[in-house]
Amino acid sequence: MPTMEEYATQPTAQRLERLTRTAAQLTAAIKGRDEAVMARRPDGKNWAPKEIVCHLRDTEEAFAARFEQILAMEVDPKLGAPTADRWAEERQYLRNDPQEAIGAFRKRREENLATLRALTPAQWNKGALHPVRGRMTLDTFLNLMAWHDDNHLDQLARALEGKA
Amino acid sequence: MPFAYYARLSRAQQAVYRKSDEIPDVRLPRPAALHPAVEALTTALASEDRATVQRATEQMIRGLTDALAVPPVKVQVLAARPHAKWGELHGLYTAERGRTPTIQLWMRTAKQRRVVAFRTYLRTLLHEVGHHLDYTLLRLRDSYHTEGFYKRESSLFKQLVPEAALRAPGRSPMSPMSVDAWFGASPDERLARLARTPDQVAAALGGRREAALRRRPAPEAWAPTEIVCHLRDAEELFGQRMATILADEEPALPDAGPADRWARERQYARHDPTLALEHFRRRRGESLETLIALPPAEWQRGGEHPARGRLTIDMLVAHMAWHDDNHLEQLTRALEGRP
Repeated sequence: MPTMEEYATQPTAQRLERLTRTAAQLTAAIKGRDEAVMARRPDGKNWAPKEIVCHLRDTEEAFAARFEQILAMEVDPKLGAPTADRWAEERQYLRNDPQEAIGAFRKRREENLATLRALTPAQWNKGALHPVRGRMTLDTFLNLMAWHDDNHLDQLARALEGKA
Repeated sequence: MPFAYYARLSRAQQAVYRKSDEIPDVRLPRPAALHPAVEALTTALASEDRATVQRATEQMIRGLTDALAVPPVKVQVLAARPHAKWGELHGLYTAERGRTPTIQLWMRTAKQRRVVAFRTYLRTLLHEVGHHLDYTLLRLRDSYHTEGFYKRESSLFKQLVPEAALRAPGRSPMSPMSVDAWFGASPDERLARLARTPDQVAAALGGRREAALRRRPAPEAWAPTEIVCHLRDAEELFGQRMATILADEEPALPDAGPADRWARERQYARHDPTLALEHFRRRRGESLETLIALPPAEWQRGGEHPARGRLTIDMLVAHMAWHDDNHLEQLTRALEGRP
């Protein structure tokens, strides 16, 4: 699994291509799994498979909002801290239908890919101040997205086996 | 309740403050006579031309000073707002002994250089005229930002833009106040409204079972559960917007997209309404904590929304008060099976 730094060495087209595959990978991973497996948390604090899928869907929406803000501003905006666990609780991920969640993720992902593909070289260097990761350009966001996909696909494969 | 800075004023200044606070409105003898000037101002801003806006602004302000029989004031409309560390300047009133006082207004935002939305512009104009009236009409020795001052500003706004007065505070609960009417209400009134909502939602849901709350009154109208989920997620967005505004100077505010998309994607119909209400209550509590701790001047900080123009915290609070009214009403209907 490439790290963010390793993704940074890949050409833009290759990283974008990586992002196009995730929705199909999610569908394949959960194919034929029943509700009990999808809603089973491997332990007290790790997410169940359906929570991971919902997390990817909502993160994709948050990425879009960040891109919009970065592109609209002339200076780097300060971004808020991510609140993934709070979303999982409040948006009641465990009650979600995972197939529908993947469908929504696929749509949001296509929208983000369209945004990223239309960026000019100068826009790729526009950025924001992330509370944990410091200054992030849209180019580093692309590394983050690719790594984030890998990371959660890996977590999903483990969770489906009941492993943290 | 005077604002916090009251305590730091001298006795003489406090007397001026109290006098300002006691006067809730400024009555125009014939408000309708000024409506054409308001129209002209709308058109002028839409033209985006500084000289045109200057002429329309002069006409508007002269109309006000003539109607109230007070001395004239000079008007200067400038392009982009100056940008300072402490925020963005929208308007300025300067009065020096022996000289005609001046009102300066900026018609474009500092960062995005967009033309200011009409309501924001008129509000700012009336705010500066308010300072002029404090000295010339009310004969106050100083012009403080008191609750009375803001009420006077709102009273002028309502007379000039009469649709804002259609739904005045205190009307029957069956006809909710408009965003503008809420904008005219005091910060305390608005905060009190926001504080009541979680209990009102709880009372409306009563002991109804989850299955009943999941029923849509019409194919396109939200079920009670979906309305509660919407309030919860809208509150998160509200908190996020306030945090974004307070973290930067005039940031861009992302468009959240249609609420129906959230309902569908986040699968509201499957949520537990009791839990959704509990989380709405928690988010609302956090919003109120932020707002109560915010000095009045910070309520004027804002950001640029791609569709709605400049949004200040003040406007967001008015919007949330209206939003609560609107969805409580929708919730009542949905519980009765009406869309």
